[in-house]
Amino acid sequence: MTEPAISIRNLTKVFPIPFSRQRVVAVHDLSLSVEPGQVYGLLGPNGSGKSTTMKVVLGLVPPTSGTTEIFGRSSSLVESREEVGFLPENPYFYKYLTGEETLRFFGKLCGLRDPLLRDRTRELLKLVSLEDAANRRLGGYSKGMLQRIGLAQALVQEPRLLVLDEPTAGVDPAGSREIRDLILQFKARGITVLLCSHLLGQVQEICDRIGILHRGRLVCEGRLEDLICVRNQTQLVLENASPAVLERIEAEISASGARLVEKSKPQTTLERFFLEVTK
Amino acid sequence: MNPASTAKSPSLPRHRMFSCARVGAIAANTLLELVRLKVFYFLLLFALLLVGLALFVMDFKVQEQFQMLKDVSLGAMSIFTWLLSVLATAMLLPKDIEDRTLYTILAKPVPRLEYLLGKLLGVLGLILISTAVMSVLFGALLFARQEIAIADAIRTAGSNLAAGARADIVREIHSQTFTWSLIPAVVAIYLKAALFAALTLLLSTFASSWIFTVVVAVAIYLIGNVEPMVRDYWMSEREVSAGAKIFLALVSLLFPDLQLFNLVDDIVAGNAIPLLLFAKTATLGAIYVLIYFGLAYFMFAKKEL
Repeated sequence: MTEPAISIRNLTKVFPIPFSRQRVVAVHDLSLSVEPGQVYGLLGPNGSGKSTTMKVVLGLVPPTSGTTEIFGRSSSLVESREEVGFLPENPYFYKYLTGEETLRFFGKLCGLRDPLLRDRTRELLKLVSLEDAANRRLGGYSKGMLQRIGLAQALVQEPRLLVLDEPTAGVDPAGSREIRDLILQFKARGITVLLCSHLLGQVQEICDRIGILHRGRLVCEGRLEDLICVRNQTQLVLENASPAVLERIEAEISASGARLVEKSKPQTTLERFFLEVTK
Repeated sequence: MNPASTAKSPSLPRHRMFSCARVGAIAANTLLELVRLKVFYFLLLFALLLVGLALFVMDFKVQEQFQMLKDVSLGAMSIFTWLLSVLATAMLLPKDIEDRTLYTILAKPVPRLEYLLGKLLGVLGLILISTAVMSVLFGALLFARQEIAIADAIRTAGSNLAAGARADIVREIHSQTFTWSLIPAVVAIYLKAALFAALTLLLSTFASSWIFTVVVAVAIYLIGNVEPMVRDYWMSEREVSAGAKIFLALVSLLFPDLQLFNLVDDIVAGNAIPLLLFAKTATLGAIYVLIYFGLAYFMFAKKEL
C-alpha cells in the first residue's frame, strides 16, 4: 500500500493571544489525506486556517494536538522536507540575488553540488522560461517572474510533493495561465500538489480533489467532480446538429417524461477570450 | 528530471542532521546580502577619519602623534565594528520573517540551528573583513607616519650620522609604532563586536521590531561600559553575600563587562599585554558568544513563524 503524500490526523492548532486569556483556534480537529499524484485544492475564505494547516504540514509551526506526516514521515522531522517544495503566498526572495543565484542557493540547502546543481539550475530556468532573466537580480523581476522563480526553487531538489500557497495571486491572466499550465505539467509527471487558492475557476480546472475549510473546520471534502455535479441532470453538447435533429431529441425528451431544463450555446471562458484577443 | 518516480531521487545525497555545507551556504548568502546592501561604505568614513587624523596630529611631538593615532584609530575601529555588528545583525531575522524568505528556507531540509548559525557566521565574516580592512588602513597610516618620523629624525640628527646611531633612531621610533600588543587589541575589538552580534541575534529572536533590538543593544553597550565601575564601588562598600554574588553573575551575563575587552588604553600607554590576560579576554569573548548563541537558538527553536 502506498503511503499518502500528506496525512493529517486530528490536527488542532490554537494560538494564544499575548497578554490575554483568549485564544484563537485556527484549525480544529482536521483530518485529511492527499494521495500521491493528486492535485488537492485546499479552499476557504481568509482566516479559515489554510495557511496554518500548510505551515504545520511543513513543520514551520508545531501542532497543538494531532499529527501531520509527509510520505509517512512526521512533519516535525527536518528530513520530511526533503520531499517537499514550497511556494509561499507572495514570495519575496532575496532581491539582491539573481535568478540563477537564487536557484543555486536553494539547491545548496538541499545538498546539491556542482555539476548536478549547475545542470539542475539551467533545467529549471528553462522549465519556467526564465533563461533570459537568469542573470538579472530579483529586485527587477515582475510579479509573474517572481512566482515562476518561486516555482523553480520549489522544484530544485525534485520533490515528490509541491505545496503552493496562492501561486497566481496578483499575477496577470497570461502569467496566471502559464503557472496553471506548469502545475498541470507537474501533475502529468506524477508530482503531488497541495494548492491553496481563492481562484475557484482555476482550482476547478486543475484539482482532482478539494477540501473546504471554514473557521478552522473541514466542512466539505471529496472528488471535485462528485462535489460539484448536479446529480439529477445530464448535459449533452452536440456539434453540427441540424434543427431537425434537435427537434427529434426534444420530442423524445418530452415523450419520456424528462424535462429539458436549458438549451443554449456553450460559451468560452473570459480568460480564454482575453488570451485570444491579447495574443 | 523524473519527478514521477516515487522513490527518493538518487541524485540527492543522504540527509545529514548537521551539514557544514548548508551552514556555509547560509553564511555566504548572509555575507553577500550585507555586501550588496553596501554596508562597506562605512569603511570610507573610517578612511576619511584617518586622513583627518593624520593631518591633525602633524603639529604634535612624534611620541604624541603615535599615541593619538593609536588611541583614536583603535577607538574608532572599536565603535565602527560594534555599530556594524549591531545594525547588520538586528535586521537579518525580522527581514527574513517579514519577507517570508524564512518560510522558503525552513521549508527545505534545513534545521533551525543551521539557519541561525549561518546567519551569525555571515555577520562574523562581515565583521572580520571590516576589521581586517580597517587594520590595514590603520597600519598603512601608522607606517607612513613612522617613515616620515624616521626621515625627520635622521635629517635633524645631521647627515654624518653613524650607522649605529641611525639604527637606534629607527629602533626607538619602531618601538612607538608597530608593537606586538596591537594584535591583541585588534582581536579584542573583533571579539567585542562578535559578542554583540550574538547578543543582537538573541534579541532579534523575540523583539517585535529591529528598532527595539538596536535600542536594547545600545543600552546594554552603555550599561556594559559603566557596570564594572558600579560593581567595584558596590563591592568595596559592603560585605558581599552569596546571593549578591549570584545576582552579580546574572547581571554580568545580561550586561557583559565591556571594560575587559578594552585593551586599547594599555597599548596606547605603551604597556605590553600579558599573554594570560589576552587568553582570558579571548576565552571570555568566545564564551559570551556561545552563551548568547545558545540562548538565541533556544528562543528561535520554539518560535512560531
